[in-house]
Amino acid sequence: MTVTFPQKGLPWLLLLPQLLVTAIFFLWPAEQALEQAFYQEDAFGLSREFVGFENFIDLFTDPLYYQSMLTTLFFSFSVAILGISVALLLAVMADRVIRGKLAYQTLLIWPYAVAPALAGVLWWILFDPSMGPIALWLNSAGVDWNHYLNGNQAMILVVIASTWKQISYNFLFFLAGLQAVPRSLIEAASIDGASPFKRFWTIVFPLLSPTTFFLLVVNLVYAFFETFGVIDATTKGGPGQSTNTLVYKVFEDGFVGLDLGGSAAQSVVLMGIVGLMTVIQFRFIERKVQYS
Amino acid sequence: MTDVILEKIGKTYPNGYHAIPSVDLSIEEGEFIVLVGPSGCGKSTLLRMVAGLESISDGELRIRGERMNEKEPAERDIAMVFQNYALYPHMTVYNNMAYGLKNRKVSKEVIEKKVTDVAEMLGLTDLLQRKPGQLSGGQRQRVAMGRAMVRDPKVFLFDEPLSNLDAKLRVQMRVEIRQLQRKLGTTTLYVTHDQVEAMTLADRLVVLNKGNAEQIGTPMDLYNKPATPFVASFIGSPSMNLLPANLVEQGIKISNSLTLPLPHDYRGGVVWGIRPEHLEVSDEQNADFALRIQAVESLGAETLIHGLLEEESKKGIPMVVRLSGPHLPELNSLMWLTAPVKHWHLFDEITQQRL
Repeated sequence: MTVTFPQKGLPWLLLLPQLLVTAIFFLWPAEQALEQAFYQEDAFGLSREFVGFENFIDLFTDPLYYQSMLTTLFFSFSVAILGISVALLLAVMADRVIRGKLAYQTLLIWPYAVAPALAGVLWWILFDPSMGPIALWLNSAGVDWNHYLNGNQAMILVVIASTWKQISYNFLFFLAGLQAVPRSLIEAASIDGASPFKRFWTIVFPLLSPTTFFLLVVNLVYAFFETFGVIDATTKGGPGQSTNTLVYKVFEDGFVGLDLGGSAAQSVVLMGIVGLMTVIQFRFIERKVQYS
Repeated sequence: MTDVILEKIGKTYPNGYHAIPSVDLSIEEGEFIVLVGPSGCGKSTLLRMVAGLESISDGELRIRGERMNEKEPAERDIAMVFQNYALYPHMTVYNNMAYGLKNRKVSKEVIEKKVTDVAEMLGLTDLLQRKPGQLSGGQRQRVAMGRAMVRDPKVFLFDEPLSNLDAKLRVQMRVEIRQLQRKLGTTTLYVTHDQVEAMTLADRLVVLNKGNAEQIGTPMDLYNKPATPFVASFIGSPSMNLLPANLVEQGIKISNSLTLPLPHDYRGGVVWGIRPEHLEVSDEQNADFALRIQAVESLGAETLIHGLLEEESKKGIPMVVRLSGPHLPELNSLMWLTAPVKHWHLFDEITQQRL
């Protein structure tokens, strides 16, 4: 369907606010980052010098950058896989509940409304080695919990803190997906002699696979780009480099290390990754998997 | 040998709704039983209780003498064809049919043999590697039946399997289902709301009304001797003409001016019925009553005439006449009819039972 406007100006007027927001908050900074990436700037921003691809060369010869990349991959897949598994388990259970269904579902969706930084603080308090209830309980159970010193524990903490919020989001999609599986299929499978466990893995799970794949991409994008708040509130990328993801490194190198050129070059690399993921999303997800 | 026995089977939902008060039915081996009734009469519920998809609140279900009430659907050795076919959309036709056998740990060679045999019988051989989404409605229907057949179960259950097909395909599949069932000799329980389907398929029919079995019998029994006005109006198309009447000394009194002669010792209110095909056209002197013609449906082989009884403008009760061959009476003209006594159906107005 095509809508035609009598005046040529009106459509542009209606688009203007969105175009302005996009231009000011996305296009302009992107352009700035792109420009910055080719300059070397002093810490006070008083002078700068064109250095060509030097920032990129530095970046790709820096072992720390590769380490951060691996950290990010590990972190992102952990968040995505953990988030998807737990959400699926919860959705399956919530779908089976008959009494108080709405209450369970509402409560499970709530964490999504919590701001990332707040979620980070929440987990930071819970796991604080000197006063956090979970940390104290772990200590009494014989686990020496201190994520300020132990890199693996720090990683576990940021994964948990980042996953927690995402579980609600995934849960919502899985619940809708489960409710879309026709009851008669499950009944047919039970007449066909499949145990509940087998019914899930051979009928329900395959039917949810479009949802699962969609969530995998969305969760990876989330873990890659939107977990700055959580990491900043819990570990600040430490200890050492153990939770320093690519996004956090952009911030740290740029605003803590004051290497603006290097930070900008990293941003450009991230922009490339975002572009790639968008392509994947459009190529594989928009082309819906059809079952009829 | 009696194969399936439903003994005082009842269903009460947790919310207290009494869907099925009590149904008794015993099915012989190899028999084709059709459960028929209007929507909401409990026919699907009854079928699902036999399948084990719905719990049985009262009574007992036995298959081959074994109590089934507490058994899982898989343990009852039944196979079911669903209204929407319920094919597994992500599996090929072959895997759809093999699924039940795989779950029962049947060896690969046996599965392959059974599936190919059944596929051949149903003309699905070329479609085995397709997915359900690539099949037409009729083909899906066949796959659903094939899935039921490969397991060679004790009982087939069909839940309105033809209602999603177009009219022509429905007739074709109806004939096919009947032939297959005869060939396999499997006891079958079939649910439908379509009385034509019911009449043509069934060895015996169960007419359900509000969860009660109004009548159980062969299609001809039900057509010739309906036990209640409900069965009378449900079986046969167009349905039987039913009029409230009174039995009096001289016969049956339909209205002040119309009394049909019948010696009978019963006195009181009755429901009098006659099938449209049993009314005969006559002349004015010999007529039992006159009909003011309202509409004429010409179907070629037969003509259906809808009219209102012309009785002192007392009620104008509608009546349908079915005549063979083409007829073109004028609208609003009068038609004189006789109702031969041998084709009368009389029911007690209060107990609703056949007299």
